[in-house]
Amino acid sequence: MGVSRRNFLKGLALGGTTGYLAMAGVSSTVMKDVFVPKPLVGDTDIGMCKSIKCTVVSETSWFNNARVVQDMKDAGGLLVNQYIIPWTNTGVKEGYNGNNAGGYSTLIDIEFMDGTKKKMLLDCGWNTDWMDVCFKREGVDKMLDNKEIDLLFVTHEHFDHYWGVESVMKHDPGIRVIVPKGFYKEGFDLLKGANFPVAHVKNDFPHTGKLEVRESGKVHPIYPGVASISFDSAIITRVLGEQALVFNIKDKGSVAVTGCCHMGIISFLQEIKQRVKGGDKIYGVQGGLHISPFEDWDPQYDDLIKAIPKYGIEVMGCNHCTGYLTAEKMVLAGLPVVQGTARFKSKKKLYLGNGDQIKFG
Amino acid sequence: MISLKDHMWLESRVLENRMPQPLRGIIGLVLSLLFFYGLWWIFMDPRGVLKWYTPQYGYMYIRWILIVVIWQAYVFNFWPFSLKWRESTHPVITGAVLILVNFAIVGAVIWGFFYNFLGHYSIPYLSVDRLVGKGMTEFYAREYSSLAILMFAAIASWLSPIVPVCFENHPWQSMKQPARGITVFCVTALLSVLAFFCLMHPHYHVLFWPWQEYAAAFPWWYEFAHTLHGNFNVGWVMCGTVAIWMLEVTFDRYPFIMIKNKIVRGVVGFLGVLAFAWLLFFVFNFVQELAWGPAVDGAKRILAPDWRYLHSGELAIMMLIPAMILNFYFDNGPKKYGPAINIALRFLIIIVSTIAFHALYYKISPPLLGTQAAYSHPQQFPMAPGILFICVMLFHNWFMDFWPGKKRVGNREVMLDEDGNEIEEGVH
Repeated sequence: MGVSRRNFLKGLALGGTTGYLAMAGVSSTVMKDVFVPKPLVGDTDIGMCKSIKCTVVSETSWFNNARVVQDMKDAGGLLVNQYIIPWTNTGVKEGYNGNNAGGYSTLIDIEFMDGTKKKMLLDCGWNTDWMDVCFKREGVDKMLDNKEIDLLFVTHEHFDHYWGVESVMKHDPGIRVIVPKGFYKEGFDLLKGANFPVAHVKNDFPHTGKLEVRESGKVHPIYPGVASISFDSAIITRVLGEQALVFNIKDKGSVAVTGCCHMGIISFLQEIKQRVKGGDKIYGVQGGLHISPFEDWDPQYDDLIKAIPKYGIEVMGCNHCTGYLTAEKMVLAGLPVVQGTARFKSKKKLYLGNGDQIKFG
Repeated sequence: MISLKDHMWLESRVLENRMPQPLRGIIGLVLSLLFFYGLWWIFMDPRGVLKWYTPQYGYMYIRWILIVVIWQAYVFNFWPFSLKWRESTHPVITGAVLILVNFAIVGAVIWGFFYNFLGHYSIPYLSVDRLVGKGMTEFYAREYSSLAILMFAAIASWLSPIVPVCFENHPWQSMKQPARGITVFCVTALLSVLAFFCLMHPHYHVLFWPWQEYAAAFPWWYEFAHTLHGNFNVGWVMCGTVAIWMLEVTFDRYPFIMIKNKIVRGVVGFLGVLAFAWLLFFVFNFVQELAWGPAVDGAKRILAPDWRYLHSGELAIMMLIPAMILNFYFDNGPKKYGPAINIALRFLIIIVSTIAFHALYYKISPPLLGTQAAYSHPQQFPMAPGILFICVMLFHNWFMDFWPGKKRVGNREVMLDEDGNEIEEGVH
């Protein structure tokens, strides 16, 4: 097809101008101001509490990083359903009686404004033998027997946070349980007493108490000054959905307490700021931040370490899937990471370990 | 019943329709989908046979299958396989042979060139063994090296088609094969290596601890992209790849084809493609802001700046798939208006199809492909199945002449014959 030089130049000028305007248009602040949705303004009043104390029952979800990663690789990678992975439970030198499985669980003591107190258990670990020992060490078993623990808050369905549920149910099968939306049938079946022999997980003590499933994208008040926020995060080994806790501590500000925080600590803090009344002041953080759980790395994690100082966190009580490498980098970046004591099979003092406590307020 | 003067594809095949539309298009598409699913199940699916989609390891192979198919068809014009052999052999056999050759080259490149040569003697992050030797777990060693190796292919799949598509092989159009193929390969490989070192190597400055400040530049894009991650470059490079393919399959090389001087056409085409790529990149980033709000510095998943860039590249691939389906299986309609109207309508169809495909993919891929649910997940790469399906469509087109829907009956108005000569009129 022939074309005159004049027509071509006209077309080029028209196309170039249109393209330039299109690019400039979509990237302009005017366009963004007009069309991009505005952040929500925090309006959920969750009340206030006086203080909380977190006891790290167990933060060692597994004892040999390479082994747990190899188990997933051998089963087909990080997307394989966790209930069909034959997790290594014998012959691991660093493990608990040779079992590589440990678990994650935190006991939270809440003191309300009127001086009354409540206890809640955040997650229940993985290997029931290990969790039984940890519960005994911190007195959780007796607390459960005596119905002193008001509820079990399951952050997400991952093996290391949930599969030790038998260790709770054997003491208090009637305990109130809160799980995030996204639990699979296998997860509910386990609570009811199912057995998954391939994955070496079972629960011989069916749950008989109240079970609550929390919708994602909402703030769910639990007690005065205590609420949960759920996310529809997709997570490795096919898990879907995660929730975490926010506490509004008098005269201090908000404290974010997490299990793994796969949604990202910054996303969680953003939600607190945008959805919770008074959430602007983030006082503290406690729990797994899911940055380098296998001591792996990604430049995205450096983005986080560069960005998080602007949130003004005063106390950073991270552990577990935060990863030692992350803690090392956070300390170098000047973040207030609280050190631990490296007892009961926690490997380093870089962050809070098994048996360590932290108080906010 | 000769239907397609297929002059945009390397040599001007004349393909005879063997069945009417829409049956022809539907059968071709279904066959490609079935072949894709078989390959995915055998090689990639976490519930399948080899389970290579871990995800980077399998994704690496897929990326390399694409670049090798481009080399086979675009750069080397199927050399050393003759036109006569391809015309006289059943398409299923030519397809099987050329696909096996493709897989063999992919294996040789990854295992021979990257793992055991470049990884051992030049850049350790390209070798699983070297990383494991440094104490890294085998799984992450393989994932890290796979990401680097696949990025070579991603950049090459953007740059390699530029010589045949924008420059129509000028100034080497008169060279015979394999001399022309080797020349184009060397030029595009050189450009790809240079691009890799500028666009992706800085990612490895920060991937390892302590930071590799003597071996790689600090990610130069950090200040304006708000991320240290190489996904910033992955995103726009993928838009570049899609832009050049859409120039070919959707825009019929307009408007650059109107420039008569081939070298000028090539330069203007290259810059035009780059501008179109950046336009796509901006638009896709903006669309995500509309849907999910602005990205947040340091956040993960759907709010992460680096994931937004990556997803722009993924959206581009999701746009290319309907564009290729329309071209390959449904005669690139509509065609009854002038070029500008035809192209505009075609583009509109593609945009609507992209939106539908995006919604459909995230709904059906977890049960169908064994991928993770939700948009943003560290192991969620829609580009992996997307590009594998594109590879299968290219196999069907270039290696099998769209059998059984069409049949090659000769060549006419040969734009570039096997030896690269721009000659001949009429069917032979």
